[in-house]
Amino acid sequence: MSTPLLNGPRGLDNNPRGFLNGPRGFLKGPRWVELRLHRTALRATLAALLLAAALTVFLRWGASAYPPVDVDCFGPCEPTFLGFADGEHLLREAMNKASHALLLLPLLVGFFVAGPYTARELESGTHQLAWTQSVTPARWLASRLTTAAALSTGFALAAMAVFRFGSADLRGSWNMSWADRGVYEGSGPVLVAYCLFAVAVGTLTGLLVRRTLLAASLTGLVTGAVLAVLGSVRWQLWPVVQVSGPATTMEPHWIKARPPGSFMTDTGVTNAAGERFIARQCTPDQMAHFPCPSDTRITGWFLDYHPRSHFWYTQFVETGIVLALAAAAAYAAFRVLRRRTA
Amino acid sequence: MTGTAIEAAALSKTYGRRAPALHDCTFRLPAGRICAVVGPNGAGKSTLLALAAGLARPTAGRLTVLGTTPAAARARLAYVAQDKPLHPQLSVADTLRLGAELNPGRWDAALAGRVVAEGEVDPGVRVRALSGGQRTRVALALALGKRAELLLLDEPMADLDPLARHQLMGTLMAQAAEHGTTVVMSSHIVGELADSCDQLLLVSGGRIRLGGPIDDLLAAHSLVTGRRPAAGLAPHTVVESRASGRGTTALIRPAGPVDAGWEAREPSLEDLLLAHLRSPDAPALLTEDASPATGNEVTA
Repeated sequence: MSTPLLNGPRGLDNNPRGFLNGPRGFLKGPRWVELRLHRTALRATLAALLLAAALTVFLRWGASAYPPVDVDCFGPCEPTFLGFADGEHLLREAMNKASHALLLLPLLVGFFVAGPYTARELESGTHQLAWTQSVTPARWLASRLTTAAALSTGFALAAMAVFRFGSADLRGSWNMSWADRGVYEGSGPVLVAYCLFAVAVGTLTGLLVRRTLLAASLTGLVTGAVLAVLGSVRWQLWPVVQVSGPATTMEPHWIKARPPGSFMTDTGVTNAAGERFIARQCTPDQMAHFPCPSDTRITGWFLDYHPRSHFWYTQFVETGIVLALAAAAAYAAFRVLRRRTA
Repeated sequence: MTGTAIEAAALSKTYGRRAPALHDCTFRLPAGRICAVVGPNGAGKSTLLALAAGLARPTAGRLTVLGTTPAAARARLAYVAQDKPLHPQLSVADTLRLGAELNPGRWDAALAGRVVAEGEVDPGVRVRALSGGQRTRVALALALGKRAELLLLDEPMADLDPLARHQLMGTLMAQAAEHGTTVVMSSHIVGELADSCDQLLLVSGGRIRLGGPIDDLLAAHSLVTGRRPAAGLAPHTVVESRASGRGTTALIRPAGPVDAGWEAREPSLEDLLLAHLRSPDAPALLTEDASPATGNEVTA
């Protein structure tokens, strides 16, 4: 039987007026073509999302039904849940992996948009079909960009919601802090921005490279590189909170100064001139390869950190940068197309 | 003079650093005709059609299609590329639906459906399962369903068996005659064109060599044979001369009556084309019909 969604007419002259299918519906023109051409990929993605959601519900059920056993056992503990010590352990492992898997989402989006979605049209020549209908190439490009952007935003938000549901009770624990890689991207707008960036760069690369596999791989590489570079500089995008004080005792003062839930970026000691260094590296003797001031007499300590409240600031700054890059790539894609067609 | 389908003025197209695919082409194709763009492989036929379809920008010169730019004429022209690009995963019915979705307000679903049905192509079957002839038929149905004023077909009948070629040509000619469509098709096979086309454009080496109605072009040439050297043909333009038997055979453009010593007859289309292809230095000939009107040129 045919499904009503995304299904073309079986006969030649029947004109279905379904929910999304009608001539006045949302699904018409180039948008219908894009969704119809990639129906299989769309269905597979939906199925993967449903599977992830079902798995997460099951793991959360396991975590609540098989809580950690508060018993000291000698030797290996008796497994309680699918061979794991307890259900929560399995959930924690799965969510840790899921936080990293979320980072792959922009790469997958870029891979698909650059390869099967864009470059394959140019490689197989079907772009000539699209560009010689009544729809202008610019509208063709605008339509496919918005379709890909809307769908990848939707998928990213759904995946983030599943992750949020699965990791709700684990937040703040080991490897699940708000600033941890994967967790950070997966709980704010940056992940959506990276997906949009992947759509724009994938479209541009697909138009330029015109080879399915090469364009897809290049886009994955570029998206991954931007993800890695911005991931390593993101904590410098917003000024840290700096605290310092006189070094009066041997105990590390910063432990008391650091608010719970904050993300420490740097800590150490200072000399009378205020120069920063690490005590262990510079006293009593300077270790090789470490920068040390000439005066290594400790007079104070310092601590740089991002409090939990910086989450939204860093997220929005990074989102802004990524979206600006995405806009530049999309603009370049239109320029490339304009140069290529009349 | 009838309307103009395509008009080119000093048109050139160069891809990258290669030799120009088209160089300084000037010609006119009248509307309402069936025109053959003939030339050897790599002559620039595909480039010419792609430029007219708005799939590429000229490097230099101007190209007017249906009285306007190729981009502005996009909705009024249809183009079938040489390898008939279609989405292999779509069914035939969905391929036609694609035509409907991308040509709102123009699409003739009944016509497209009829063209497909004439070839006994099952609308439910996927494009990747079609034979070469069926595939060409679907591509043609997509082009005809657009109800275009100008059909640009790049080697439409290449790699088809004679039966499929005959069938499809019949469909195409019937539709063109019924709607007064201008058809421009390229080919390197002379035979498939002689019966159906009335206008000719010979392209080779990126240049226009001949242009005009086939009958006028044939009438403008003479195939002469005589037992004397080709130098004796002085007042006439000699396109090509060859030693044959004990004399000379030459294709000429007579500038007046030919001397009695020469036996003259009208060349066949094949004689005409081959002679020009073998002599790249022969001067080009555009009949009045195929020359751009100098008076009413559109100023850029």
